Amino acid sequence: MDKKIIYRIVLILIVVGLAAWSIYPPSERINYGLDLSGGVHLVLQVQTDDAVKAELDDAGLRLVSVAEEQGITLGTAISDPEDLSMTFDVPAGADRAVLSEIVLDYFGDYDVQRGADSWTLKFKANTEKMIRDQAVRKGLETINNRIDEFGVAEPRINRQGIDGDRILVQLPGVDNPERVKDIISKTAFLQFKEVLGGPAPDRASLLQATGGSLSPENEILPGNRTGFEGEVIGRDFYLVKKVAIVTGRELRTARRSQDEYGQANVRFDLQPSAADKFGAFTESHIGTPMAIVLDDRVMSAPVIRARITDSGVIEGNYSIEEAGDLALVLRAGALPARLIYLEERTVGPSLGHDSVVRGLRAIVAGLILVMLFMVIYYKLSGINAVLALILNLLLLMGAMAYFGATLTLPGIAGVVLTIGMAVDANVLIFERIREELKVGKTVRAAIDTGFGRAFGTILDANITTLIAALFLFQFGTGPIKGFAVTLSIGILASMFTAVFVSRTLYMILMHGQDRVQTLSV
Amino acid sequence: MRIIGDTNISFLSYRKIALGLSSAVILVGVAYMFLGPGLNLGIDFIGGTQVTVKFQGEPDLDRIREALSTITDATPEIQRFDEVEKHEILIRIENPGDAEGDFTKPILDALHEEYDSGLDGVFDLNTQGARELADRLADDDPDGVLGDIEDRKEHYSAPAQAVLGYRKLQGMFRSVDDLDQVEGLSPQVLAHTKMIAGTGEFALLGAENVGPTVGADLKKKAQLAMWFSLLGMLGYIWLRFQLPYGIGAVAALFHDVLITLSALALFHREINLPTIAALLTLVGYSVNDTVVVFDRVRENLKLHRGEKLEKQMNDSINQTLSRTFITSGTTLMVVLTLYLFGGDVINTFAFVLLIGIIVGTYSSIFIASPVALAMNKIMVARRRRKRQR
Repeated sequence: MDKKIIYRIVLILIVVGLAAWSIYPPSERINYGLDLSGGVHLVLQVQTDDAVKAELDDAGLRLVSVAEEQGITLGTAISDPEDLSMTFDVPAGADRAVLSEIVLDYFGDYDVQRGADSWTLKFKANTEKMIRDQAVRKGLETINNRIDEFGVAEPRINRQGIDGDRILVQLPGVDNPERVKDIISKTAFLQFKEVLGGPAPDRASLLQATGGSLSPENEILPGNRTGFEGEVIGRDFYLVKKVAIVTGRELRTARRSQDEYGQANVRFDLQPSAADKFGAFTESHIGTPMAIVLDDRVMSAPVIRARITDSGVIEGNYSIEEAGDLALVLRAGALPARLIYLEERTVGPSLGHDSVVRGLRAIVAGLILVMLFMVIYYKLSGINAVLALILNLLLLMGAMAYFGATLTLPGIAGVVLTIGMAVDANVLIFERIREELKVGKTVRAAIDTGFGRAFGTILDANITTLIAALFLFQFGTGPIKGFAVTLSIGILASMFTAVFVSRTLYMILMHGQDRVQTLSV
Repeated sequence: MRIIGDTNISFLSYRKIALGLSSAVILVGVAYMFLGPGLNLGIDFIGGTQVTVKFQGEPDLDRIREALSTITDATPEIQRFDEVEKHEILIRIENPGDAEGDFTKPILDALHEEYDSGLDGVFDLNTQGARELADRLADDDPDGVLGDIEDRKEHYSAPAQAVLGYRKLQGMFRSVDDLDQVEGLSPQVLAHTKMIAGTGEFALLGAENVGPTVGADLKKKAQLAMWFSLLGMLGYIWLRFQLPYGIGAVAALFHDVLITLSALALFHREINLPTIAALLTLVGYSVNDTVVVFDRVRENLKLHRGEKLEKQMNDSINQTLSRTFITSGTTLMVVLTLYLFGGDVINTFAFVLLIGIIVGTYSSIFIASPVALAMNKIMVARRRRKRQR
């Protein structure tokens, strides 16, 4: 056989093989969108204004307490979130040089305006952005942890929005939105707990150490296992005492700090009531780990180095940023800013199921109709087009599986539309071949010109549709994006199947015949 | 087989009639949209809550309206959804003013109060999820698993999923005896679930809440997508053909979008995100048709130099007419199956495409080419005047 034909056949087989390989097994490879699988879709907005205000208020408290340690008594600092600043009165006899040093050491994120009897600390240019960003990151992390606890398969939690202050949460298969909302928005709860065992990779191995049973005073809590860079690499479990040593309610404040070697750590102050308890506990447990638990999840389990009373240091292998984050969590509970719900969509399981069944039924019915028409209208060439169409659908599914694209309800419509459009390329070619045959060209020449001339048209026509799909993808959300993806892949696949594959089929048909007299078209 | 043979219809000589007809339809449509009842914007764009509920029997809309009347000042809109014998209804409440807020829970609570207040303390198989059932079974532990609560939850998650799976297929539980048909329940779990469970009058099929912030956002994005697509197409056709053709194609697109929007307003169809997707698809489809004709014009211009553009265009439309009809026909076939069998959710989407394909086919013949011709005349005349000066 002609080498050219063999090359073409090999290429087609490779493409078909790749498509089939990426789809198999279909139930695992094709992702259903929420509208088809059922589930909950939430868009939350982080009220980053809260975080800005909290930071200013907190800075005021910190300033007063640090100044006190240096022997300067200040009045209350007044924060002005609109102006991104806080102002405090400077007493007449205060040592201004010491005060300047404090500001320089502890408030590097602020610019100072020194007045005659009051000073104003104002955010530096980047500080506001940083704080807002941090608030969203914190919200994202907290939601991630809580959803993780909820145990949903394949949750999708992303940051989005122009200001980046929105969080998208998609939970396939979840059928009760109220419960999800409860879990997300419950207030964060911080506890220090005594560690009895762990970290261990699973519950069972922790229980082995205690003889297989869990005493009612203790509990097992999960925590993140972190790598050298502080990234989460897995899960660990800890056996801890149920009763907390101290809880977040007894915390006065926490701030980022560093030790003499420059290692970042977190310094915290306890209220006087808690200081005695904490002092007694830490004194008797030097050298053992203590769990810092947030929302029933172990954030870290540092080893107690010394007796801690009203103020202590949490040491860990923290980066400056992590130490700042942890301090923020300790100060404000996990959520430094409130979350409000902008958008909620729940698709019940039966509605999703119904959509799949009906969509598939429509696709199959449409497909059969079109195939019948093509075979009746173009006879043998119609069969060629039908083969191209089947291949097109296979490629479409394969590409969607390969790119991990999500099939949505509008996406199903996209598939239906692809069927219509894929046929268009074949129609353009066949009509052209008919025309060429009519003006007296030989079958071979007619096929050559038919494909050649029609290709330019197909290209132009498809690119315009791709332009529409591109902007749909750019500005669309959720299901609409799925539609744009399906449509685009379908168009690209149709160029391959209708032009390349159909042409090859003709070549095979013509092969070995010197003069082809007739063409069934 | 041929449906359309060789034709020689002088399409362009009908351009004045076509232009007049289209303008009249668009005028009526635009008047209807802006002066009349207007477009029926869905909650995607105006913000609000939309809940789909399935009832055991024929729902009494007045009774539901009455039950919901205390939730808010805004009047809830209640419609039948899908086929009547499925007893499904759609409740829609617009967000009052600029307030973000979700009415899903109040609506469900009010319906519960009205229909299922007798079920308090009973596990409602039609509104509770698999997770709640697993939790409840883990607490009651009919299989006697004992051990950690986590282990028990894990044990009961499979039967709970199976129970929900039944609701997934059937829509709702008619009575607790339906549990007999659920596979994978141990006799103890079955007996216990029957004991604690009841079947409420209604089941939640879906709920959507879009706040005004997101609504305004989505609206803006939809408009941007539309304008950028039109600009992109104008640019591409300008580049590949010439400016007059670009203007002709975009004029046809405006025509299609306006007429389809008018149809949506006239039939009081809701405009939501999928509707916008359908409109943009129609834009892509319609320009596709137009490009095929223009492509032929370009080819003919090279082959038969010296002939008048009007005749060339007419010939081109006639030469591509067979293809135009077959492609429109096959696409119409699939869209029609989608419209008829695709279900309620996708119905408006199919409606837009149905109208759009018909209008789009018409416009690539009767609007795009005449406008391109007219623009060409204007530009040629201007060039000539420049040269004379």
